[in-house]
Amino acid sequence: MSKSRDEMLTAGIDVGSSSVKVAIVASDEAGEARLLGTAHERVRRRDAVDVATGLFETALSEAGLGRGDLGYIATTGEGEIVAFRTGHFYGMTTHARGGLFLEPRARAIIDVGALHTRAVLMDERAKVLGYRMTSQCASGSGQFLENIGRYLGVTLEEIGRLSLEADEPEQCSSICAVLAETDVINMVSRNIAIPNILKGIHLSMAGRYVKLLLAAGARDVVLVTGGLASDVGLLEAMREVTTEQGAELEILAHADSVQAGAIGAAIWGAFRARKLARQGMVFDAGALT
Amino acid sequence: MIASSVSTLVERAEALCRDLRLQSVRDWKARTGGLAIGYLPVYVPRELLVAQGILPVGLMGAGADLEIIRGDAYYQSYICHLPRSTIEMGLDGSLDCLDGLLFPAICDVIRNLSGMWQMLFPDKYAHYLDLPQNFDRELGGRFYRDELETIARDLAARGASAPTPESLREAIVLYNENRAVVRSLYELRAAEPWKIPTWELYVVLRAGLVLPVTEHTTLLEAYREAALADTTRLPMDQARVVLTGSFCEQPPLGLLKTLERAGCYIVDDDFIQVLRWIRSDVPVEGDPLENLVNSLLDDAIASPTRYSDQDEVGGELVERVQRRQAEGVLFCAPSFCDPALLDQPMAVAAVERRGIPWTSFKYSENSGQFQVIREQAGTFADSIKLWSEA
Repeated sequence: MSKSRDEMLTAGIDVGSSSVKVAIVASDEAGEARLLGTAHERVRRRDAVDVATGLFETALSEAGLGRGDLGYIATTGEGEIVAFRTGHFYGMTTHARGGLFLEPRARAIIDVGALHTRAVLMDERAKVLGYRMTSQCASGSGQFLENIGRYLGVTLEEIGRLSLEADEPEQCSSICAVLAETDVINMVSRNIAIPNILKGIHLSMAGRYVKLLLAAGARDVVLVTGGLASDVGLLEAMREVTTEQGAELEILAHADSVQAGAIGAAIWGAFRARKLARQGMVFDAGALT
Repeated sequence: MIASSVSTLVERAEALCRDLRLQSVRDWKARTGGLAIGYLPVYVPRELLVAQGILPVGLMGAGADLEIIRGDAYYQSYICHLPRSTIEMGLDGSLDCLDGLLFPAICDVIRNLSGMWQMLFPDKYAHYLDLPQNFDRELGGRFYRDELETIARDLAARGASAPTPESLREAIVLYNENRAVVRSLYELRAAEPWKIPTWELYVVLRAGLVLPVTEHTTLLEAYREAALADTTRLPMDQARVVLTGSFCEQPPLGLLKTLERAGCYIVDDDFIQVLRWIRSDVPVEGDPLENLVNSLLDDAIASPTRYSDQDEVGGELVERVQRRQAEGVLFCAPSFCDPALLDQPMAVAAVERRGIPWTSFKYSENSGQFQVIREQAGTFADSIKLWSEA
């Protein structure tokens, strides 16, 4: 892996509740970053630390790098459990930075993860200015959508495409996962077509997300990050809700949106390593000296 | 080998902290036949008790390990948790090995607790220790000496030895040694916080509330040696913070672990202050009782429970931030703690005047959910690491 003279190589490891993401990034002194490689794997009832360690080593190996080449190993999400990290950054901080990297026009991101959804407002440096988060209820989360898919015999990857086929979406509860699941069981017994059920759920979730974004003060370009950013049905539902409500939001996603947290962690890691170096502290293979 | 040594020491200390029935105290009494006298936060002159052959036993609540059933009946909902768990332990017999309790002047709640104790356990010794708030030797000094002499007489009447100058000097020497090791651990943690995780330091310090002082000093020395020798503990990029406000009701261990995992190195704190209330050595030469009195008047740490001029509040906190090279302050007080929360606005103003970042949250000793605090402390650490001027 080649890097220019003033570039620093760093890794970001995003340990989520359902999957682990790793990104290797080269960043220069001015903060310009290049994505060198990414890896992504579902945890699937395994030890998350083992998954993170394995994925990290794989990503390094595929990039032709060793740990000693890295200036900082940054974790995010639940990554505090990764003992070989140099430092940890919080999800809002890293998704904001990763979002800005993937879409420089974005001044807000909405991180739709397995358990929570967070709307984050930021400035042109990715400094977090405010946020709003879903409450404890899981009905606004990817895990809920995955559970519904399981009831309907549909994989998570199929959900988005099927949702786009809907012609008469059936609305369901947007407040409570238990009530929403009951709604879905009722819809199945009423022979509602699966695309219409899924679109109804997407619209319900989208309504919550747009509300979160507006409450956080988001305007203009919003990048969707996190695991559900690849759900085309959800993105379409968010755009429909935005139009319906007359909200001044442009909802975008990027092919690497799922990696936003890991990318942001890696970029902040380089930023932090340089800041510490200016204070006379240097790193040695992941440890401060 | 080395790591297991650290973990063995910490496990033993944690077991002592969590033993609400005070088995080690019961064993000590069975072995020595001596009296055991309990005390509440924040400070009692343990030297006096040891000089009388007594085991001082610190009580700092039951943490999250005890379900409060009867204790809640004694306090309104806007009162902190520590007195509830103390009452609960008293009523369920956990504290029946104690021959008495000292209630240092902290706040009205502890004053009321001392009254309840006298009514609930009329056969046990209970004394409200009115620590002086006037530091003039002729006023506060005379008053405090009289307090100490009263306690010594009362306890001698209950079977303890009368203190002699020699026994007092011996006790002062033992506690000077203990304070020196505690100071060295605080210095070491400030220099290399990855070597001395705060939750570990906390449990080995807290074990000293039930152990005889010499045993505690030995434990601390062994822990310091083992932690220093552990080469597996490597530094991480974390924000250095001073934690303040937790001087009476203690935070649950889970909270300390959460703060450290959230990206904070705690480089100074207010925990278990009885071990550090006197800053330096108490002089051994001369009248030892007078030396104890003068150390309290002249050499005690600043605290919301100790009088200071309003414009001085927060001054020592700022000094600690600077001395420990901390990057921020966590105001971490128990819910409904009047002394901590009344001083907090003035302390916040003091750190803000110096441009020191801070954040605040509250806890109860039995808190079990830390997700919100984790997010708050984590984003605070992020903001220091990424956006501070340094």
